[in-house]
Amino acid sequence: MRRKTGITLGAVAWLASAAAWAKKFDEMPYKIDGGFDVPMSTIAGLTEWTRDINYVYLITTVIVAVIFLAVALPLIYTLYKFRAKEGDDTPPKQLHGNVILEFLWTVIPAVLLIFIAVPTWKIIFKHDGLPARADAIKVHVVGHQWWWEFQYPDLGITTAYELHLPENTPVDLSITSADVYHAFWIPKFGGKTSAIQGNINRLSLTSPLARLPEVAGGDYYQGQCVELCGTSHALMRHVGVVHTKEGFERWVKAHNQPPKVETASQREGEQVFARCIACHAIEGTPSASIPGDKIGPNLSSFGSRSHLAGGTRKNTEENLAIWLRNPQGLKPGVLMPNLALTEPEIAALTAYLRQSTYKTY
Amino acid sequence: MSASAHSQSYSKTGLWSWITTVDHKRIGILYACSALAFMVIAGIDALLMRSQLALPDNGLISAETYNGLVTMHGTSMIFLFIMPLSAGFFNFFTPLMIGAPDVAFPRLNALSFWIFLFGGLLLNFSYLIGQMPAVGWFAYANLTLRQYSPTVSVDFWVWGIQILGLASLIAAINFFTTILNMRAPGMTLLKMPIFIWATLVTQVLLILALPVITVACVMLSFDRAFGTGFFDPGAGGYVLMWEHLFWVFGHPEVYILILPGMGIVSEILATFSRKPLFGYSVMVYSTCAIGFLGFAVWAHHMFTVGMGPWANALFSAATMLIAIPTGVKIFNWMSTLWGGKIRFTTAALYAISFIAMFTFGGLSGIMHSSPPIDTQHHDTYFVVAHFHYVLYGGAVMALFGGIYYWFPKVTGRLMNETLGKIQFWLYMVGFNLTFFPMHFLGVQGMPRRIYTYAPDRGWNLWNLICTMGAYLTAIGAFLFAVNVFWSLFKGKIAGNDPWDARTLEWSLPSPPLEHNFDVIPTVTHLDEWWHRKYNEDGTRKVLAPAPHFDPQTIHLPNPSYWPIVLAFGILLIGTGFFLPSFGHVISIGTSVTGALVVLGSAFGWSYEKA
Repeated sequence: MRRKTGITLGAVAWLASAAAWAKKFDEMPYKIDGGFDVPMSTIAGLTEWTRDINYVYLITTVIVAVIFLAVALPLIYTLYKFRAKEGDDTPPKQLHGNVILEFLWTVIPAVLLIFIAVPTWKIIFKHDGLPARADAIKVHVVGHQWWWEFQYPDLGITTAYELHLPENTPVDLSITSADVYHAFWIPKFGGKTSAIQGNINRLSLTSPLARLPEVAGGDYYQGQCVELCGTSHALMRHVGVVHTKEGFERWVKAHNQPPKVETASQREGEQVFARCIACHAIEGTPSASIPGDKIGPNLSSFGSRSHLAGGTRKNTEENLAIWLRNPQGLKPGVLMPNLALTEPEIAALTAYLRQSTYKTY
Repeated sequence: MSASAHSQSYSKTGLWSWITTVDHKRIGILYACSALAFMVIAGIDALLMRSQLALPDNGLISAETYNGLVTMHGTSMIFLFIMPLSAGFFNFFTPLMIGAPDVAFPRLNALSFWIFLFGGLLLNFSYLIGQMPAVGWFAYANLTLRQYSPTVSVDFWVWGIQILGLASLIAAINFFTTILNMRAPGMTLLKMPIFIWATLVTQVLLILALPVITVACVMLSFDRAFGTGFFDPGAGGYVLMWEHLFWVFGHPEVYILILPGMGIVSEILATFSRKPLFGYSVMVYSTCAIGFLGFAVWAHHMFTVGMGPWANALFSAATMLIAIPTGVKIFNWMSTLWGGKIRFTTAALYAISFIAMFTFGGLSGIMHSSPPIDTQHHDTYFVVAHFHYVLYGGAVMALFGGIYYWFPKVTGRLMNETLGKIQFWLYMVGFNLTFFPMHFLGVQGMPRRIYTYAPDRGWNLWNLICTMGAYLTAIGAFLFAVNVFWSLFKGKIAGNDPWDARTLEWSLPSPPLEHNFDVIPTVTHLDEWWHRKYNEDGTRKVLAPAPHFDPQTIHLPNPSYWPIVLAFGILLIGTGFFLPSFGHVISIGTSVTGALVVLGSAFGWSYEKA
């Protein structure tokens, strides 16, 4: 029996693969976390924008759920009631249609749609195309393959990976791209905005409240590029960091402080960094006065960043060393070349970048 | 029927007869078999992607390969599976259902198949040299420009789509003409089977939408080959223009994929509830309305690009309107079942599951029609869940239903019902296990098209479950293959009309003779075949005796090898664009040779006795 063999083979293959994956899953450090209050949840937002989105979302979900039941339950009943009986070979009554019924199920969905459309439009016009508020913090957001750059023109700050904001403050983001098509998204702040070379998309929102008295350098909100932008698209991550007002001022003041080069190792690191300055700048050092656009992220205050390499690894000495040894290994396709640094050079550069720059976390 | 006609249709065998065939039924079979073969490849892509995503930080597949799999899975499932499998059904059944001896342009029909096959092979050649296009099936500018995608990988996509688009365009003109001009006497437009209506509207969409993507692809290939800079902002180009052009094609494309499925489901439900389709004329109007509105909603793929509040509000309203004709269809299908005597064959199970799955996917589509919600769901797994419910739970389930329904007409043998039902349930469970949890992943904020994810995002559990569902589906697909081969040789003999069906193709022998109808039928009713079998009160009629048939009156078009030669010329023209690294002489020479082959075969074609 070829048929039975096929079915048995299939069942065995599936069970075996299920068991194999389940075993690997069980060995992972992070266990099941199936809830919705996860780092990038789209329904657990904290700004007025996300609250408004959730309001439309709730109405829409209820309406479509009711419609689904209005289809599914009668369908199941119909299938049960009108199943063909054994031995009954006469055709049923040949019914061709019913104008009143068909009119009704044209009109009722149309009416239901109004209940989705009106709040939708209300929310669109409330948040889209707003003029920038004069008191807003201006940030230029620039997508690069594969990292985000954040420029604060009024504060003279350029940074990468972390969008630092004071709590409960209007923010005016101008979003664009230096190369390919990207999309900027921090779900707990609101929806996505495309980052397109040659276009500037403006986004106005009010930052959420800081959750606790500032203890660990602010609240971190995960974000990620959401437009396929090349090989390491999946590794183009970023965070929004919300500070108390005082915490934000501290960050602003400290960000452009030049590195404090004290130990021998840091001094050596400073020398090694001279090989990086074609692409990277650190404010307050000679690297910042080289004219022209830098193609790599600005590394001022690098020690304060929680993660490195586009948010793929925690900013630790080991991880920075791994990155410097072979950038391609962490982020395939990345523009940063392998400088073939020796281990002592890597140690020195790590000491310089991580310890001599400002630390918030 | 005469014995001579019968023997004539089977005396032509062998590979050469398939290469030179202009018989719409054989071309239909060629389309369907190639589509299923390409489906296996695209399905393996999907399994590899799901295996990679089963665990966070998984190292099974590299970033570049994964992006290639994303692109090839989407492109192949759309252009090399759903569209050509639908074309297989159009080819085999359009003439049979409208009472015609063949399509309007038989050699053109063969040409469109060969162009499709060469285009598909060209696209798939990218696997063999490890250069899969890695830019997504939508190939958004400006990642596709040479400075960001320097290898030939994107050229496979651009030229594959141009060649495949040409095939679809030629086929669309052919079927549009066939349906409007070659219906049997008495078959007015509103007496056509609903599947033919779906086919007709699909051809109109193809004719109007394909030129847009063709133009866009020409511009892109010029950008890549000659540096014209249409999509390069550095050269004064405009990135968003690609996105508009792509979706002006891409959204009607969605209806090109689903309308044939809707037509198939309508036929199956009517047959197996043994009632006419409820509200036939409203179904026709709603098909047309969906096709029309389909051109007014493209920018709902672009709510996040910064079009401004008015454009977003208007495109959102237009999108919501589509829910109305679609809803009418769903309730009419249910009313078709209501009061019937439903026989739960495998084909019927697929058609019924279509109603449920398509409704589900349609409703999550309504959620995306609201831009505020869409800005959160856009490019997350919620969207992946949505369109797999409409295209897989919808279009693909309908096409599988169509295969079970019409297999006996094509091959003369019934497919195995037990195996079919096991496959159906594997598909249903596997499909829902794969795609239902993706709604959760989307709400949890998991972006699409990422080859890996961090373990602390809370996405681990659902991803593992999705992967297990995908494996289950793969087993279903394997059983389908077993069923097809088993049934081809050992299936029960079907006879002319195994399902007591309603449309004209079931009045013919299974498989039909090469010339289809001995005498072109005269049509008096919608569901003509049913009315020949039954009175209005459900009592059986005595079938009218077959009219006198004179084999001398049959004129069959001659087989021709020009279509395959001409199609090969088109492939050569495209191939030239891959060869600049071998020098301009080889590159331009190949394209020019291709153009000469096209001209030469067009010449031979026009002087050939048809």
